This record gives sequence, C-alpha cells and structure tokens, in this order.
Amino acid sequence: MTTTTFFLFLIPVLGIILLLVNLILSPHNPYQEKDSAFECGFHSFLGQNRTQFSISFFIFALLFLLFDLEILLVYPYVVSAYTNGIYGLLIMLVFFVILTLGFVFELGKNALKIESRQVFNFNIKSWNGYSLIYK
Amino acid sequence: MISIISIIEGLLLIVPALLSVAFVTIAERKTMASMQRRLGPNAVGYYGLLQAFADALKLLLKEYVAPTQANIILFFIGPMITLIFSLLGYLVVPFDSGIFVSDYSLGMFYMLAVSSLATYGSLRSTAQLISYELILSSVIIVIILLTGNLNIITIVESQRIVDFLLPLFPLFIIFFIGSIAETNRAPFDLAEAESELVSGFMTEHSASVFVFFFLAEYASIILICVLNSILFFGGYLCIIPVEFLIDILYTLFGINSSILQDIFVNFSSSPLNLAFKTALLIFVFI
Repeated sequence: MTTTTFFLFLIPVLGIILLLVNLILSPHNPYQEKDSAFECGFHSFLGQNRTQFSISFFIFALLFLLFDLEILLVYPYVVSAYTNGIYGLLIMLVFFVILTLGFVFELGKNALKIESRQVFNFNIKSWNGYSLIYK
Repeated sequence: MISIISIIEGLLLIVPALLSVAFVTIAERKTMASMQRRLGPNAVGYYGLLQAFADALKLLLKEYVAPTQANIILFFIGPMITLIFSLLGYLVVPFDSGIFVSDYSLGMFYMLAVSSLATYGSLRSTAQLISYELILSSVIIVIILLTGNLNIITIVESQRIVDFLLPLFPLFIIFFIGSIAETNRAPFDLAEAESELVSGFMTEHSASVFVFFFLAEYASIILICVLNSILFFGGYLCIIPVEFLIDILYTLFGINSSILQDIFVNFSSSPLNLAFKTALLIFVFI
C-alpha cells in the first residue's frame, strides 16, 4: 500500500474517529424544542426545508454544469496545444461555436429570465438594459 | 500491507495541516480582536496560542443535536465529506524539490476536483459555487497552456525564471477573487453572512459536526492559498530568482559564478518559501 492509498483511507478514518468520540463521550438528552429547526424567538414552521423553487434556477445550474464540462473538455486540448497546431484549434473553435449557439438560443428563448415577484414602482423603461436576465 | 514509512508520511502530512488550521483560526480571532480593540483569546496557553485546541476538545465533549426535520444520514455525512475533501487536497502539494507525497501527472485535475467538492452548503453556497467555479478552472487553463503540463511540480519548476504573477497579473487578480468567493470569505460570505443569517448552513450543526465544518473551512482556505502560491508565486521556489541574481552579480561585479552557485543553491528552493507566500495570502483572507 503506497502512501497515497494510505492517505485516502486515513482521512475518512480520522473523521469517523472524531464523530465516534463525540457520540460516545457526550451526553444526549433531546427534547422537542431542542430538536426542532432553529428559528429566532418563535416556534418554527414545519416543512420549511425542501420547498419548491422555480425551474429557472435549475436551468441556471444546468448551464453551469454544461460550461464546466466544456472547460474540462478543453483541458486535454490545452495540454497538447503545442503539438496540435491549427487543426486542433479549428476543431476546438467548432466545439466552442456549437456551445455558444446553444447558449444564444437559450437566451433568445428567454429561458434564463427569472420571474421576480417584486413590483418595480419606478419607470420600467430605464430597466430595459438590465432586463435581459432579470425581469 | 501498510509499510511504516507510508504511515509516517501520511501523519507527517496531515498533522501539520491540522495544526496550521488551528493556528489560522487563532490568527483570525486575534486579528479581528485587535481591529475591534479587544484582546481576543488570551487565557489558554501563552498569548492564547492553545485556544483552538481547547475549543476543539470542548466541542468534542458537547451534546450533538440532530433536528427532527433533517435527513439524519445526510446531516452527519455532509460535514464529513466537506472535511475529507478539503484535507485530501494536501496530497499533491509539493513542499520542496523532491519533497512531496505523490507526483501525479494529473495533479492539477485532482486539486481542482477536490477543492470544488470541499464547498458544501445550502442553496446560497451552491449559487456561489456556480458563479465562481468556472473562473477558477478557466484561469488554470491559461496556466496549463503556458506550462503544457498538468503536473503541479512541472508548473512550479517552470516558474524558475519568473513567477507567473508577472506575466499573468490580471489573471492572478481574477483567480484571487474567485478563490475568496470559493472559500466564502469576507466580501463574498453570503452563504453564512453573520449579520443577516445567524451562521448560514452551520446554524443547526453542533459538537463534532461543527468541528468538521470549522476544520474544513479553514483547511480549504489554506489549501486554496497554497494553490494560489503554487500557480502564481512559484510555490517552493525562492522569492528572488536565484539564477537571475547569480547572473547579475557575475556581470556587474565579476564574482566567480561557481562560488555563487555553491552559496545560493541552498536558497533556491525551500519549504519555507511556500510557507511564507501562503502565510501572506492567508493574512489577506483574514
């Protein structure tokens, strides 16, 4: 077993030991108020966690995933950029262009607009520049 | 079969890492205290140096509270995952030329994966991760384009003549801001904003689960500072480029370069350089 493998085992074991020490040594006498969700000054509402959220947030997260994977796919090209030459660069550019077209399509379809429940009282016209993403 | 050497190496890596985490917490509390005209921790040990250990021992003996509405397994496993991944990142850090635990040829990938997994939290921190993770990886792309290698030691060694800080200064600013946001520090601390939320996602965690979060947060701060100094400040290399210094002394004063090589070769790389650069960066994070 090399040091690397040992290290990969050592750290989870360290965490489990710390947790077990706490579970064994500490007192444990729960009651309902202590175990309820934390809220300042008043009783907490049940079922506050795991609420639904708007689908546009999920689309934002999906976009992040897409572009993160895109960057990961660029890494192998970057390592071998010196030997690849112009052909590799062209292939990479085609890849980028396809992804960018998809992103532009999504922007054009207004998929990234997050519907705000707030009402703007002032002149809407001045916000036209900002309203591409936030409506 | 575990050889004794690998056990010693693992412990030699992890014990200083945990110790440095402890002292960074004290340093932060002392700095914040002196900014607010307080004393800060000063009772335990000389100058309050042992405060972190006292806190950890106290938290390990505290009662653990598991909220009724929480998913118990995730509630305990989440902080452990955070801690595990922030400590695993120390595996690929080169401390000196020849002093490292593992010399991966894909070390930069490993570091990137581990440092992004170590961020944990609620919707707020996920939003922050989404915004700033791309910046970190795309800045690393440029550095890899310069070095042509994913190996961290190669990245450090290719900065022998000049640190990447000089040619890539705007990228360093971008990377630094991204890393501050990645570790949820002061201007970007909306995941655990202490003035509006109580403590963010850490609020309901107590006892050792809280210790995990605390350790993980500061371990990832140190790790990302180490990453900063490896990528831009030349890691373990000397702050002043020694070969350059030898050349200057030789051309200006005509001193024999072989004697100079004998003198300066010991200074060209040292773990102390990495420690110094990292400490400077951590102080900025505080």
